Amino acid sequence: MRNRFDQQLERLHVELIQMGALCEDAISAAAEALLKGEPSLADAAEEAERELDRQEREVEDLCLKLLLQQQPVARDLRQISAALKMISDLERIGDQAADIAELTRYVRLPEDQRSLHIAEMARAVIRMVTDSVDSFVKKDLDLARAVCAADDRVDALFDQVKSELIGLIAADAACGQQGLDLLMVAKYLERIGDHATNVAEWVEYSITGVHPLND
Amino acid sequence: MKKQIFHAILTVALSVLLASLVLIVGVLHGYFQDRVLEELAQSTAYIARGIENEGMAYLESSGFRGSRITWVDRDGTVLYDNREDPAAMEEHADREEIREAMLLGHGTAVRQSTTLAQKTVYYALRLSDGSVLRLAETQYSVWMLVIQALQPVTLVMVLAFCLALWLAERLSARLVEPINAIDLTDPGEELAYEELAPLVGRIRSQNREIRRQVDTLRQRQEEFHAITSHMSEGLLVIDRETRVLSHNEAALRLLGAGEPAEEASVLELNREGGFRRCVEEALAGHRCEELLERGDTCCRVFANPVEQDGALTGAVLILMDVTEKERRETLRREFTANVSHELKTPLTSILGTAEIMENGLVRPEDVSHFAGNIHREAQRLIGLVNDIIKLSRLDEGGPAGQWETVSLRTVAEGVLGQLALAAERKQVSLSQEGDCGPVRGVPQIVEEIIYNLCDNAVAYNCPGGSVTVTLSSGGEGERVTVTDTGIGIPREAQARVFERFYRVDKSHSSGGTGLGLSIVKHGAAYLGARVELESEPEKGSRFTLIFPKST
Repeated sequence: MRNRFDQQLERLHVELIQMGALCEDAISAAAEALLKGEPSLADAAEEAERELDRQEREVEDLCLKLLLQQQPVARDLRQISAALKMISDLERIGDQAADIAELTRYVRLPEDQRSLHIAEMARAVIRMVTDSVDSFVKKDLDLARAVCAADDRVDALFDQVKSELIGLIAADAACGQQGLDLLMVAKYLERIGDHATNVAEWVEYSITGVHPLND
Repeated sequence: MKKQIFHAILTVALSVLLASLVLIVGVLHGYFQDRVLEELAQSTAYIARGIENEGMAYLESSGFRGSRITWVDRDGTVLYDNREDPAAMEEHADREEIREAMLLGHGTAVRQSTTLAQKTVYYALRLSDGSVLRLAETQYSVWMLVIQALQPVTLVMVLAFCLALWLAERLSARLVEPINAIDLTDPGEELAYEELAPLVGRIRSQNREIRRQVDTLRQRQEEFHAITSHMSEGLLVIDRETRVLSHNEAALRLLGAGEPAEEASVLELNREGGFRRCVEEALAGHRCEELLERGDTCCRVFANPVEQDGALTGAVLILMDVTEKERRETLRREFTANVSHELKTPLTSILGTAEIMENGLVRPEDVSHFAGNIHREAQRLIGLVNDIIKLSRLDEGGPAGQWETVSLRTVAEGVLGQLALAAERKQVSLSQEGDCGPVRGVPQIVEEIIYNLCDNAVAYNCPGGSVTVTLSSGGEGERVTVTDTGIGIPREAQARVFERFYRVDKSHSSGGTGLGLSIVKHGAAYLGARVELESEPEKGSRFTLIFPKST
């Protein structure tokens, strides 16, 4: 019985890694589509998003089955409940990556300096997503905490990008449409950062049993 | 074991108890009955004599207390009974013992009472007058005796139970102790029970067998480990649940992963799209091949499903570092593209000039000028093709030249001689300083290298500049230094000047093929020599060739 349970837990772990990897694919494809202006990559992001949706349902099923049939306690219960929370965050990351990919079909990054911070923001967010998945895979508490800390930087970058876009629109009203689209992209990136933070927090919870917000 | 011993002891104790009880009761009962009969016979004879002498008066006067005495007349009527009223008693002639006495003189009978609890023993004797005297003694029956003995027997049984329990405890402890003391991993030769010998022998031989198999397995594993850990290719064996069953260091290095935990999923090592696809495909039963790029390393993953008895049991992943291969591939592609381009430029020029001449658009006095153009371009082409041939020979493992002792001084003098005319044209002074020992090498290549260096030094010089070839012997070996006062090489280009077709000046205005320094580099490498470059833009460059000391 226990053996079967362990097997299922292991499967859950593998599925979560796969979901994390898909998230990474989605966000890096979306960011690449944005930064390099290759709309073909947007399709890849959207494909990854659909796959993520499917996988979320699968993992959810598995978690519920585990909860009902095995009635886990202590660490196992923590792991499964953390997984349940994590998949919704991962799925949201995928959604927002797809939203960015969708926007890249209409928006072109201006070729000048201003684009630098949004690119930096995208890179920082990709780093966060990768690190949060890594912290889960390696059960690395320090890395999980580093992700939470990195969110502040992404928030600061968001403010910076916002003021840059205000400057852009103020200088040339014709850029209004593009400026607003870019603002949306930045907002999505910022939200992805928040979700990555959530994931990292759940990783911390599943390791220590204490959610960082409940300290 | 204790339980069995307890049962055995208890059973034996109880059965002995019961058997002796039955035996004793049976034997004693029979014996007592005989004694009673004997006593009755004596008493009867004694009383009979009294009656013979004194008649009824004897019976009435004596007032017997013990046994029941009945005197029966010859017709069966009871004359006297010391327990009951004779008148009320029925006729006794049909009683077994009386009939027997009347017939034979004496008779006996035993009759059970109605309750079975008692029985009566009768003895009858015929008197001389034909009447019969009968004495009766009442006795407890066997069952009664047994029931009476029940209490002490139960007591004994309880005692036997306790004793059995205690003995079982002691005995089993004593019996089991030597068995428990046997060391199963190494049972000694001496055994407390010889009955255990076959078992222990079996254990011993099985222990040996197991140890041998474990040793073999360990040896196999060590061999396998030795093989895989020295492979430059990464090897991963995974099961159907993607758990890593076996891995080697190269795989971890190529995937940039740390040591995986026990039974960790292979996806923990790497979760890049291509790698995931490989794992999925292989576990779905298909071969798969993907290129993984991670930073500046590049590796190719081959995934193969593993089947056993027709069922998929896992997959084997081989990872190969193809960074170098990919880089060479890129170089080759670039080289081909460059060669085509370099060949096309002079050919286009030749073609154009020839076309103009063919169409008669050239005035007769200009023909020699145009023909000169064609000649120059064709020469450039030849130079280029020659350089490419030299390079490809070096690539193939060197030209078919003999290794000889070469005097660097002679070679340098020859080269400077060849370049004297060109130097004069560019108003560059040539000089040679110092001397050094001979080196081992292929003369053509040594000359080629020094020629190329000096040729460059002249070609990229400024009017009024100088080229100095310095020979010296140092600790490391023989050195040839070519110093010029030319235009120099920008810092960012210094690392690239040895690449094929790389030119600092992209305009091709300085002539040359772009292969000179590449030939120097490859030639030096072929000879085992080293090339060093110091340069400062606008001031000049210094190339140093260091030949290893010839031993």
